Amino acid sequence: MNRKKDKGFESPRPYKLTHQVVCINNINFQRKSVIGYVELTIFPTVVNLNRIKLNSKQCRIYRVRVNDLEAPFIYNDPTLEVCHHESKQRNLNYFSSAYTAAVSAVDPDAGNGELSIKVPSELWKQGDEMKVLKVYIEFSLDQPKGGLHFVVPDVEGSMAERAAHVFSFGNQNSTRFWFPCVDSYSELCTWKLEFTVDASMVAVSCGDLVETVYTHDMRKKTYHYMLPIPTAAPNISLAVGPFEILVDPYMHEVTHFCLPQLLPLLKHTMSFLHEIFEFYEEILTCRYPYSCFKTVFVDESYVQLSSYASMSIFSTNLLHSGMIIDQTPLSRRFLAQALAQQFFGCFISRMSWADEWVLKGISGYIYGLYLKKTFGVNEYRHWIREELDRIVEYELKMGGVLLHPTFSGGKEKDNPTPHLHFSIKHPHTLSWEYYKMFQCKAHLVMRLIENRISMEFMLQVFNKLLSLASTASSQKYQSHMWSQMLVSTSGFLKSISNVSGKDIGPLIKQWVDQSGVVKFFGSFAFNRKRNVLELEIRQDYTSSGTQKYVGPIKVTVQELDGSFNHTLQIEENSLKHDIPCHSKSRRNKKKKIPLMNGEEVDMDLSAMEPTLTNADSPLLWIRIDPDMSILRKVEFEQADFMWQYQLRYERDVVAQEESILALEKFPTPDSRRALTDILEQDQCFYKVRMQGCFCLAKIANSMASTWMGPPAMKSLFTRMFCCKSCPNIVKTNNFINFQSYFLQKTMPVAMALLRDVQNLCPKDVLNFILDLIKYNDNRKNKFSDNYYRAELIDALTNSLTPAISINNEVRTVDNLNADVRLILEEITRFLNMEKLLPSYRNTITVSCLRAIRMLQRNGHIPSDPSLFKSYAQYGHFVDVRIAALEAVVDYTRVERCSDELQWLLDLVQNDPVHYIRHKILSMLAKNPPFTKAAESSLCNEALVDQLWKLMNSGTSHDWRLRCDAVNLYYALFGLTRPSCLPLPELGLVLNLKEKKAVLNPTIKPEPGSGGPEVTANMTFTSTLEEEQHVVIEPALSGVAMAPQGLKRKAETPLGSSPEPGQIMQEEPIVKLSVKGRFPGTQEEEDIDMDTVHDSQAFIYHHLNMLERPSTPGKEPSSVEQAILSMPGTPMPLLSKESLSSKHGDHHHHHHHHHHEHKKKKKKHKHKHKHKHKHESKDRDSHAFSNSPASGRSIRSPSMSD
Amino acid sequence: MAESAVMGSGSLNAGNRSGSSKTSTSPLENYQLARRRTLQVVVSSLLTECGFDSAEKAAVETLTEMMQSYITEVGRSAKANCEHTARSTPTLSDVVITLVEMGFNVDTLPLYAKRSQRMVITAPPVTNAPVVPKALMAGQKRTHPAHIPSHFPEFPDPHTYIKTPTFREPVSDYQIVREKAASQRRDVERALTRFMAKTGETQCLFKDDTSTFPLIAAHPNSIPYLSALLPSELELQMLEETDSSEQDDQTDTENNPSNIMQDDSGGDKENAVLPPGGGVPAGKVNEENMIDNPYLRPVKKPKVRRKK
Repeated sequence: MNRKKDKGFESPRPYKLTHQVVCINNINFQRKSVIGYVELTIFPTVVNLNRIKLNSKQCRIYRVRVNDLEAPFIYNDPTLEVCHHESKQRNLNYFSSAYTAAVSAVDPDAGNGELSIKVPSELWKQGDEMKVLKVYIEFSLDQPKGGLHFVVPDVEGSMAERAAHVFSFGNQNSTRFWFPCVDSYSELCTWKLEFTVDASMVAVSCGDLVETVYTHDMRKKTYHYMLPIPTAAPNISLAVGPFEILVDPYMHEVTHFCLPQLLPLLKHTMSFLHEIFEFYEEILTCRYPYSCFKTVFVDESYVQLSSYASMSIFSTNLLHSGMIIDQTPLSRRFLAQALAQQFFGCFISRMSWADEWVLKGISGYIYGLYLKKTFGVNEYRHWIREELDRIVEYELKMGGVLLHPTFSGGKEKDNPTPHLHFSIKHPHTLSWEYYKMFQCKAHLVMRLIENRISMEFMLQVFNKLLSLASTASSQKYQSHMWSQMLVSTSGFLKSISNVSGKDIGPLIKQWVDQSGVVKFFGSFAFNRKRNVLELEIRQDYTSSGTQKYVGPIKVTVQELDGSFNHTLQIEENSLKHDIPCHSKSRRNKKKKIPLMNGEEVDMDLSAMEPTLTNADSPLLWIRIDPDMSILRKVEFEQADFMWQYQLRYERDVVAQEESILALEKFPTPDSRRALTDILEQDQCFYKVRMQGCFCLAKIANSMASTWMGPPAMKSLFTRMFCCKSCPNIVKTNNFINFQSYFLQKTMPVAMALLRDVQNLCPKDVLNFILDLIKYNDNRKNKFSDNYYRAELIDALTNSLTPAISINNEVRTVDNLNADVRLILEEITRFLNMEKLLPSYRNTITVSCLRAIRMLQRNGHIPSDPSLFKSYAQYGHFVDVRIAALEAVVDYTRVERCSDELQWLLDLVQNDPVHYIRHKILSMLAKNPPFTKAAESSLCNEALVDQLWKLMNSGTSHDWRLRCDAVNLYYALFGLTRPSCLPLPELGLVLNLKEKKAVLNPTIKPEPGSGGPEVTANMTFTSTLEEEQHVVIEPALSGVAMAPQGLKRKAETPLGSSPEPGQIMQEEPIVKLSVKGRFPGTQEEEDIDMDTVHDSQAFIYHHLNMLERPSTPGKEPSSVEQAILSMPGTPMPLLSKESLSSKHGDHHHHHHHHHHEHKKKKKKHKHKHKHKHKHESKDRDSHAFSNSPASGRSIRSPSMSD
Repeated sequence: MAESAVMGSGSLNAGNRSGSSKTSTSPLENYQLARRRTLQVVVSSLLTECGFDSAEKAAVETLTEMMQSYITEVGRSAKANCEHTARSTPTLSDVVITLVEMGFNVDTLPLYAKRSQRMVITAPPVTNAPVVPKALMAGQKRTHPAHIPSHFPEFPDPHTYIKTPTFREPVSDYQIVREKAASQRRDVERALTRFMAKTGETQCLFKDDTSTFPLIAAHPNSIPYLSALLPSELELQMLEETDSSEQDDQTDTENNPSNIMQDDSGGDKENAVLPPGGGVPAGKVNEENMIDNPYLRPVKKPKVRRKK
């Protein structure tokens, strides 16, 4: 994972995957199940490849064959239940490290996997000749909770008529949820994909559709796909449904799919996709790498867009008709993002998780270029500023975001991000918000690189990466070229230095290898005698999320005689910078003032006169780092008139937005005039004007007592949007000019924020808004006004102020405030009309729900969640549900209601829509019902247990959701043990345990060839011997063990099951116990009874095993040593392992047993006894098991005789 | 018409009965009471003619009743006879036939009318003429034009067929137009949503008051994205008005008659316009197809030799 000097890619696996077949024979929508098989073609890269580790979650595996020989296998997924039940820890530090360890234990990038297959010994010899192995796995999925999502509407008719569909989804590499594979972005292979679906359905997948063939009964058909370009398993996807098909009219190799009845929307939404294609192909001077492209629009999508090799899956809610304005740019942005990810992310994959930033950075960067081209430079700069603000805000609040984490040898002490409550070692342990910020920072850093080496070179680098990859992709596997398709940080940097000849090392070190942003404080003074601007730039690099910046910084000074750029050097100790001014002359005569862009303007310089401090200053305004070439926040002090000049005359939208923000602090008539002028200026960028509206409202409120004239913006709005003859009536809608449409939408919302001296919304304003609603007339408009109406409701919401309540009276209709009554009338009518004539994306319902919650919160109407709960039900449009849930979350916080909190948490566990579950948790985390600091009746042990269970085992099917649960837990209880829990019996031990927990992740077996090899030998051979042992076993340890097993099953929370087969891990555990014992002898007191039992069982078991002569020499002695010094084990993790390893062993005998059976028919008696015992055991574990894969081959020969 | 006659007589009867009750005060009843009294006078004078000096009240009452019934019957039958001959007003002959049918010797009537001892009775007082509830009078009742015989029914009241043009100035003031449109739309919306809320399940914001701000209950939809993404019919209509060009290619395949006629040869063309994946008939090989996309290719039949 370290940045390697050499270009080559070293696989963590002792084999190389070259080709994989995925065949899904049957998809049952009724039962939500899938049956199929995969076949992986692998080349061993070591002699005697005897074990193959693959990734598989959820899948029930029926049989595994290697080159037509039955192969035993073991399935173990430690992520199903992160901390085992006996642990009473409940603190997040402990959980996070255990979770990271669990994810590492199955991380394909470290050569691990949930599924471990033993290569039949007959094939071992083949290793010498490096012959191909074919691993064939039959599997099924039943009601998958992750990986595949079934949408089956509950209506009459056939599945096709019901628009039932299924699609794959997941956070990062999640393909293992729906078929066994090497779920790594760095393991590329070619693919053959076959899907047999109902004749009325379409199966869309990656690669070229070769043919579609009916089955013999003609009721089904099989889609055959070939993907000849080497692709990583996480980039494989599938969507099946009764899709309507649209061949792109401009590009016939591009096909779009949508659900029935939406075809007209699809046509419109996709009508411009070819432009994005053209743009990317042009700037990258590279053809789109795949021979076809497919877009599928599905309902209940996991994210708005997800990109896979040659196809993208979108949310169906991005579709829109030509009448919709607001959604259009949003949808286009998503499409552009998806296409950018086709090049970087799908076609070019990454070597390791640490290289993810390159892919996200490049795709985000070229997407930015597309934005610039399509929406203009203003929009682009505005977007960059927005993204910069977002990342700065996040890092300052939460701590740094690290793009390229390096982990030295997995030691947790070197955790590069100790400030976070989760590990950034794996994509699956990241909080979702962090990951979004990560992507944001990645593309900003790419832009910084562009600033440094020029766009031309940047594009050349991309082109180089792409052309290398496309050469490699056409090669056969044997040429070992495929790793060219993987990007790594070092490779990328090398490319840059080759192409540009520039050294960007410092830049990378600053922004990529290090986390944090820069926080500048600037102020200045003008020295008249020297005619020098004395600029002081200070930094805060001690608070969390900040870092120190040393290097060049650009400062732009607008003087009377023109605009001048200066590059200053920020150094260790220099705070002050003297900048000589160019303009000596005072403004004696009227002269035009040249601006940065060469434009010359007349300015009214009278505003400069009265300032005494800066008398004779020729400075109009000063900007620090105007090009945003540092990831920074600048707080700059300059006089209000300077900000006003900057707002009026600086042509850069970023400067304008900065000045608007600054002017909030200067509520003066001058600021008011400057803002009003901007609002009226229709050449000004509309988003600046929109922002200006809100600033003006704030200024007006600060000036409430001295404000003259009508409420702010009222006359402006009247002039712009109302009839000339009757100024109180708004013109009939005509949204043909989008800029003024957006302004028309925003102004009332901002106006409603106005407050008079009593802190009430002025009556004038309310009536004005009510009139806008009343006279709204959209009959002549080409566009829908649903967003406009929704914003008018938002305006009503904004106008609300807290009710004056006397003696806490109960709110009834009779004592309703007259204004509120009017507002409520409107809301009622809007909400009711929406049932009859629903608006696009139900925007109006969404706004109404928000308004009602606001009325409740302000005490105008009784606070009651039942309305929101009914709107939050499954079956409403997702936006409506989110709005309703947000209201319930808010209610929960305000009223501290445990019923509602419970209701929300139930939804998190049971709602069919993954996105909703995710949103509930993230909304709860954002608006938590209580926090660590405050006492709350909600905070109790039951809740702690429930949340713990949720993140421990209840969310094992969805990485994102699990991290959301962790976030919520963090928001509620912080990192340490929740305060509401009773003190643990042995309070002192807790800390020690924590320390221990930190150490635990060493469970992960070392990657590399040596370690696992030995392990494998040992375990497999030892179990051979154990044949005889099995019968005796109960006599030895059965008394202690049998009830153990049962007990654990019964206690297992949330359906996670005792996993069969831990045997592969046994050896490392043993090692661990040795390591862990010595430093920690004083920790021994802390043992609860569970652990004692478990560990005793563990010891017994190992004694039994290890005493056998065949066991390789070195290990047992050390183990024995460990055991001798160990009365019990304090480590819950260890005991967990011991426990499951016990199960594992049994199963293992079992498999082994089949295996033996084939060859030599001996020991019948023993075997049969053994078999029966295990059959019942297996059945038990099935009864309790939710995990479909049990380590059992149903059709293996020993069962059939 | 017949019905109204029956009604008339019925009401007369009813009038009688209600007349006996003393609570009656309405003008109509007064009128009827007066008529009845006249009839009594007639009966009394006839009795006097016949030589009675006095009569019991009950006897007079009975006779009056009989008399009234008789006259009513004559009227009813005469009316029936006249309508039988497709006329609306009874003529003398109708009455004569009626009387004959009732077994009355008509020939004796002139003589009886000219009898000497006949007593002259004063006509019932005119003052209490029936106050007919005033029908809506709109315009003038039209008389029959020349070609319609006068015995034909009269025109109904003009308000039933006359179109009354309103000559109010059309409101051209922009402000008022907008104002009206806005409040009209709001009223319609409010009425509609209230109706929906009344007739269906509701949710409420106030526990104690469910009617002031009724919210139509939220019902989950099994395919929620359809209604949320597809434009509503209203919006589609508007779109059609603004440009119908996009719609054309869709309707083309279904409605164009020429397309249907060439179906045998031009089937491939239809294929090109994106059939759903499953529906492609294997027989239709599209060689002339411009677009070669694997998803549009026909599904192959299974090979016999395929084993796996």
